[in-house]
Amino acid sequence: MTIVTGSKTEARLRLQSGRSGLPRKVWQHRADYAYVLPAIAVMLVVIAYPIYYTIELSFFNTPPGLQLRDKIFVGFNNYTAILTSEVFWQVTLNTLIWTFASTFVSFVLGFATALALHRDFIGRGVLRAILIIPWVISAVAASYIWKWIYHSDFGIIGAVLVELGLASRPPNFIDSVSTVLPSLIVVNIWREFPFAMIMMMAGLQTVPEQLLRAAKVDGANAWQRFWHVTFPHLRNVSTVTILLLAVANFNSFIIPWIMTGGGPSNASHIWITHIYELAFGRQRWGVAAAYSVLLFLILMTLGYFYVRALSGNERREAKA
Amino acid sequence: MSTIAETSSQRQTRRRVRVDGWRWGGRIFLVLMLLYTALPMVWMLLTSIKSGFAAMQLPPQWWPDQPTLDSYQKLLDPQNSVGQDFLRFFWNSLFVSTATTILSVIVAVPAAYAFSRFTFPGRNFLFFAVLLRNMFPAVIFLVPLFILMRAIGLVNTHGSLILTYLTFGLPLAIWLLKGFYDNIPVQLEQAARIDGATRFQAFVLIVMPLSAPGIIATAIYSFIGAWNEYIYAYTFLSKNEQLTLPVGIQRFFSENTTDFPGLMAASFMMSVPVVVLFLLLQRYFVRALTEGAVKH
Repeated sequence: MTIVTGSKTEARLRLQSGRSGLPRKVWQHRADYAYVLPAIAVMLVVIAYPIYYTIELSFFNTPPGLQLRDKIFVGFNNYTAILTSEVFWQVTLNTLIWTFASTFVSFVLGFATALALHRDFIGRGVLRAILIIPWVISAVAASYIWKWIYHSDFGIIGAVLVELGLASRPPNFIDSVSTVLPSLIVVNIWREFPFAMIMMMAGLQTVPEQLLRAAKVDGANAWQRFWHVTFPHLRNVSTVTILLLAVANFNSFIIPWIMTGGGPSNASHIWITHIYELAFGRQRWGVAAAYSVLLFLILMTLGYFYVRALSGNERREAKA
Repeated sequence: MSTIAETSSQRQTRRRVRVDGWRWGGRIFLVLMLLYTALPMVWMLLTSIKSGFAAMQLPPQWWPDQPTLDSYQKLLDPQNSVGQDFLRFFWNSLFVSTATTILSVIVAVPAAYAFSRFTFPGRNFLFFAVLLRNMFPAVIFLVPLFILMRAIGLVNTHGSLILTYLTFGLPLAIWLLKGFYDNIPVQLEQAARIDGATRFQAFVLIVMPLSAPGIIATAIYSFIGAWNEYIYAYTFLSKNEQLTLPVGIQRFFSENTTDFPGLMAASFMMSVPVVVLFLLLQRYFVRALTEGAVKH
C-alpha cells in the first residue's frame, strides 16, 4: 500500500509541483516508509488478501475438495442459513459463556495475584516464575495434562473425590453435556491468569509510592488506598488487559479442539472450533467463510474499543 | 495527655491487625494459586515416570511404586520409531521457531523505530493496522492462506509456517519495541549525528544497544509463539516428516490413546525449551511489558 501511495504521489507531485498538502508531506517523508515497508508488506500478503478472499467466498456455494472454479454464487444464502440454524445459537451462547467467564475470572485472579506479589518477601521471584509457567507452555501440552486429570476412569480429581467419599464413582467431567464447558474454562483460566498477572504487575510498578504513603498518613486503610489510589492508576492497563484477554478467548481453539473436539453434542463447540469443523471437516467453505465474516464484524467492534483504549493512553501520555 | 497517647497507640495496634489480615489473606490466596498452578504440572511429572500399568490404577498410586524413565528413553532413542519421530518433530519445531524469531526481529526493529521516531502521514493508521492483526483469529485466515500457500507451492513446507508466524509475532513485537524507543532520548542520537554519524549509524550504534532488552523480549515472544503454534501447522502440514511438535504429538497419541505416561513425558519434553528460555530471560520480558506496554 505504501508503495502505491508513494509512486502515485510522486506522479501527482510532478503534475502539481509547488503546491503544499498531504502529497508533498508523503513525498518528503518517503524515506521513512522504507523502515515500515517490510512489516507492512508481510501484513498485506498474509492479512489483507485473506480478508478479501474470505468475504468473497462467503457469497458462494462451494463443492467439497476446494475445486473453487466450480463455486456458485448464492448471494446471502449462507448468511441466512447460519442465522436460522439452531447450532449457531447454541455455539454463540457457548462462546459468550466461555469468553466472559474466562476473561473475568482470569483478570480477577491475575490482578489479585499481582497485588499479593507486590510486597517483597522471601521466595517471591520463584513463586512468580512458577505461576507464569502455565502461560508459557504450549496449549496442546496443557490440554493433554488436563485431559488426563479429568480422565473419566483414572483422572486424579475423580480419584480424590472418591477417596474422600464425596462421590461413589469418578464423575465425568468432559464427557457430560452439563460439566464440559465449565471444565474447559478452568483449563483456560489456568493458562491465562498469568498473563493478567504480568500485565497488572507491570502496571502496579507505575503507581507512585509517594501517593500511597500520603494516603496512609491521611489515615486511609488498605482497601481505601487500593480503591482511591492504586486502582485509578491501573485503569488503562486494566482496559488493555481485559480487551486482550477477551479477544484471545473469543479466538480460542486449541483447548476445546484437543480436549473434546466440540463434543459431546456440540456442548463445548465455540465459534472457532465450529468454523474449523465446517471448513476442514465438512468442507463447507462458503458457510465457514460467512461465519468468519460475522465473527470479523464482531471483532471489528471489539477492535474499535481496543484502539480507543490504546490511543486514549497515547493522548494522556502526550498531555503529561 | 496520657489518654491521647493511649488512644493513638490503640489505634495503631488496630491498624496493624487490619494490615495483617490483608497480608494473611494474600498469603493464603497465593498458596491456593500455587496449588492450582503447580499440581497439574506435578501430576504430569509423576505420571510420566510411571509404567503404563501403574498409571491406570484405582485408587491411583499417588507416588509411583516403581519409578521408571522408560517413557523418556523411548522418546529420546533414535533407534526406536517413536524416538525417531519425536526427535524429528523436535528438530522441526526448533528450526521453524528459530527462523521465525530471527526474521521477526529483523522486520520489527526498523518498523518500531520508524513508528517511534518519524512523523510521516498515515503513521497512526499504519500503526493501528498492524496492531489490529491481533484482533483476528487464525481461522479467518486459514482457508484463504491455505489456498494462497498452495498457489505459491508452500504447502507442506516450513516456509509456509515461518511466513505465517511472522505476522503473529510482529504486532506485539512492534508495539513493545516502540515503547522502548519512545523512552530512549532523541538527544543521544542527535549528539551522534552532530559527531558525524549518519542516521543509520546512530541507529545501529546508539539505539540498538540501548534497546537490547526490548529486542530480547521480542525474540522470546516470537520464539514461544512459534514453538507452541498449532492450528496452522495442523492445517498446512500433512507429511509426517514435516510436522512440528504440537501436531506431531497429537497425531502420534491419537493412535496410542492409552499411553498416558508417554503422553505426559512428551508434554513435559515439549514444554522444557520454552520454560527454560522464559525463566532465563523473564526479567527482560517483564521489563519490556512495563516500559513498552504499560507506561505507554
